Amino acid sequence: MQIDWVWGFVGGVLIGLAGSVFLLMNGRIMGISGIVGGLVDRTGLSNWTERVAFIIGTIAVPAAFAGLWGAATHLTTNWGVIVAGGLLVGVGTRLAQGCTSGHGVCGISRLSLRGIVATVFYIVAGGITIAVLRHVLGVI
Amino acid sequence: MQRNFFALLSGGIFGLGLLISGMVDTLKVQGWLDVFGNWDPTLAFVMGGAILPMAVAWQVAARRKRSVLGYAFPEAPKREVGPNLVIGSVLFGMGWALAGLCPGPAIASISFGGTGGLVFLLAMLAGMLIAPAVRARIDGTTAPVESPRTKMDIRALTPTYAVSPQIMLEDLPAIKAAGFTTVIDNRPDAEIPASLHAAHMRAAAEALGLEFVENQVISGGLTAENVEKQAATLAAAKGPVFAYCASGNRCSIVWALVNAGKRPTDELINVPAQYGYNLEHLRAQIEARAKG
Repeated sequence: MQIDWVWGFVGGVLIGLAGSVFLLMNGRIMGISGIVGGLVDRTGLSNWTERVAFIIGTIAVPAAFAGLWGAATHLTTNWGVIVAGGLLVGVGTRLAQGCTSGHGVCGISRLSLRGIVATVFYIVAGGITIAVLRHVLGVI
Repeated sequence: MQRNFFALLSGGIFGLGLLISGMVDTLKVQGWLDVFGNWDPTLAFVMGGAILPMAVAWQVAARRKRSVLGYAFPEAPKREVGPNLVIGSVLFGMGWALAGLCPGPAIASISFGGTGGLVFLLAMLAGMLIAPAVRARIDGTTAPVESPRTKMDIRALTPTYAVSPQIMLEDLPAIKAAGFTTVIDNRPDAEIPASLHAAHMRAAAEALGLEFVENQVISGGLTAENVEKQAATLAAAKGPVFAYCASGNRCSIVWALVNAGKRPTDELINVPAQYGYNLEHLRAQIEARAKG
């Protein structure tokens, strides 16, 4: 537990470096929901190779390292919760035009009002959801 | 090609960061959100760690004209906080709490997330697919009801340049109130009733303290001088510029040519396309200007 925050910080710095590379080399904001969503709803097909390259990197590197030292998501086995969670994350991030990477990391770091507002709302909504479903209803 | 390489590199570092930080572990994410239970502060360190280098990168970007590979940087962030942003963030937060995955970790964990991870990912993609319809719904119920007389339509191509169909004299105060400092008339007087001729517009605009520039573009007869004058006006403007013609199409075309080479050609074509202006036929011309 004590060492978790160190790994969290180191991993966080890597995430910030990834966003810095994407910004300073390609001139783009590293928002994964936008990168993926633009391919899904076809609004981002004009630079699809860049998007696909980014996604390949995001999948391949964890795949290689997870093979070395192991990794687990500890995802719930409740299919209803998984599907509902996925749908909400998909719709929500596209409506808000950003998720933890785009609004959270890239937005807050340039003091974007939208990034800050979005981050406050998704964290508060997440906290309330956990509080209600875990401590009131005991579902998750 | 270089661009794809750096996208791959960035994606790889991103994935590694998500893995190392523990963000691919749903227990950590739910632990962070579980303020009333066994709260896990790790995510705050992840966010802090990520924001530090990113804030430096934004400072570096602010001091440069273009990215290292020569691409334009993103525009200043929009300031509009509307229902879509708030509703979307709330829905996202609920889904994030339910499953403990946000989009990045959901993708980064494909190789070891099992069937559950794949199902989550497919549901997320399905959600992204239906999002435009949900957005249209939200826009439909939250858009303010406007009286017919205030149907003026400010179509922002960038935060500092908007185009519009023909305006009326009475629209000028709203243009001023929207923060514009300069109005460009791209429509020849010969097309419009005398009451809307440039001289009247100029008088009304200048009375409000707006800069007024006539750069009349003959439909289908755009000249090099037109492009130069628009460029000079945009360069000299003290604030956001509002351009109008019959539909806004000519204002968009001139803008695209002014910005050839300064912004990606795709952007110059795709942004006006959002308002129904089809500039695809200008692609070769824009590319040629961009090169020379």
